[in-house]
Amino acid sequence: MEAGSLFRRLFRSRGGKWLLAAILPVMAVLLWQAAGTDGALAGGALPTPDRVWSAWITWAFGKAGPMTLSPYIGTWADNLGYSAMRVAKGFALAIVVGVPLGAVLGWSKWVAAMVDPSIQWLRPVPITAWLPISLAIFGIRDFGAVFLITIGAFYPIVINTTQGARDVEKSWIRAALMMGARPIDVLMRVVLPAALPSIFTGLRIGLGIGWTAVIVAEMVAVKSGLGYVLWDAYYVGRMDIVIADMVSIGLMGFLSDWLILRLEYSVLRWRRMQSFNG
Amino acid sequence: MGTIRFSGVSKIYGGPTGVRALENVDLNVAEGEFVALLGPSGCGKSTLLNLLAGFETLTDGVLSFDGTSISKPGPDRGVVFQEASLMPWLTVWQNVVFGPQVSRVPRSVYEPRAQELLRLVGLEKFHDALPVQLSGGMRQRVGIARALVMQPKALLMDEPFGALDAQTRLSMQELLLDVWQRLKTTVLFVTHDIDEAILLADRVCIMTARPGRITRDIAIDLPRPRSIEALTSVEFIHYKATIMAEMRGAHAHH
Repeated sequence: MEAGSLFRRLFRSRGGKWLLAAILPVMAVLLWQAAGTDGALAGGALPTPDRVWSAWITWAFGKAGPMTLSPYIGTWADNLGYSAMRVAKGFALAIVVGVPLGAVLGWSKWVAAMVDPSIQWLRPVPITAWLPISLAIFGIRDFGAVFLITIGAFYPIVINTTQGARDVEKSWIRAALMMGARPIDVLMRVVLPAALPSIFTGLRIGLGIGWTAVIVAEMVAVKSGLGYVLWDAYYVGRMDIVIADMVSIGLMGFLSDWLILRLEYSVLRWRRMQSFNG
Repeated sequence: MGTIRFSGVSKIYGGPTGVRALENVDLNVAEGEFVALLGPSGCGKSTLLNLLAGFETLTDGVLSFDGTSISKPGPDRGVVFQEASLMPWLTVWQNVVFGPQVSRVPRSVYEPRAQELLRLVGLEKFHDALPVQLSGGMRQRVGIARALVMQPKALLMDEPFGALDAQTRLSMQELLLDVWQRLKTTVLFVTHDIDEAILLADRVCIMTARPGRITRDIAIDLPRPRSIEALTSVEFIHYKATIMAEMRGAHAHH
């Protein structure tokens, strides 16, 4: 069988797609492993994959004895959970504020003229610049992290929702008005559903930024979570944990994005069929 | 119920140049009458319809519906749009009952009515289909059912069959004749198709562009109920010749 047709068959089958996706990471890990000597790389600064893996296993499944004080035994799931909860809370808050606000901004020229400039003016301020204010107001507490995630996720959500609401077909709104819809009906039953494809784009970007924000926040503003462990492990020279932590963050971001995609897939059936037919 | 009265209506679109879409238009439509507005694109016939629907506001003149002036859209004037304009995320059924639902009509009232209308337009088997799964003609049937479910006093149709192929258009015209024969709602029908105007309407109002105005108002005395056979009758050809001459004449003035 020639290589081209083998590739096509791989691409079409579900398992084949996984296989294709695995080629690059597997190669990277093998190269990384091969480049290291004595389980280390870059003059001992970086551990090789096997060291990272065993550190990760201990971090995830190790049972700490009564006399051990190491924070890297059996604490992986807890820290993962803390970070995930913060992202979930901050993301939910960003949705609750961003989606309705975006819908109104896209729908009403007056509200947009009043509010949009302020949003555009605050938007360039990076999440890291909000850290001091967050610390000053909330201290070393959970909500400080949630606050930063909300700010980070808010902008892409509100901007994409606004865009989606602005691009709603005029004739859909006219049709709704002709059938006796009140402004609230137009907003809830026409503008919001019509903007959903854009909203989902905003959600995906926002969630990605949410994971960035939680790591930044945990490095400074709280004493738990993947971001805290990352910085803490660096200070005590545990680069194996640092790398295992990074891979965990990537995995969580990937998984949560996949969840949104699944949700989008089931909610936007009409949209999918539209692009299929058109 | 369903009487329409345009008197001295003008519509000038804003901007420094100010496009005169309509100038001094007079038009009366009686209850249960079917009137076609016929003219080239850009003659303001859709503007006329949009004013009546309440989607746009007039610059000058008086426009009343059943004796009261129009301020906003409402379910007493059902609109059928050029490309149906169904909500693509709603099923056929959900599109049809959208109006009754937002207007707080009790389910026990609107459900049998909506079922009956879906049967009337021949879509009872497509209850749960999404608009994207339907052909253009079927979508426009839903558009008609959606407008009629609110039991409007007038039906405003903006080139509803313009995007359909010739064969589908004929069957839609037949369907509309059939529906109108039963309901006898006032209809204002915008089209650029001469045959369509004569076949459907009691009166054909010919419009010209820049500025948009009605130049002729021709009564069509073809017997009712009509079917597409009327298209080849001698009387039909006679009306067509008259209208074509009129439209060519109107064109020559420019």
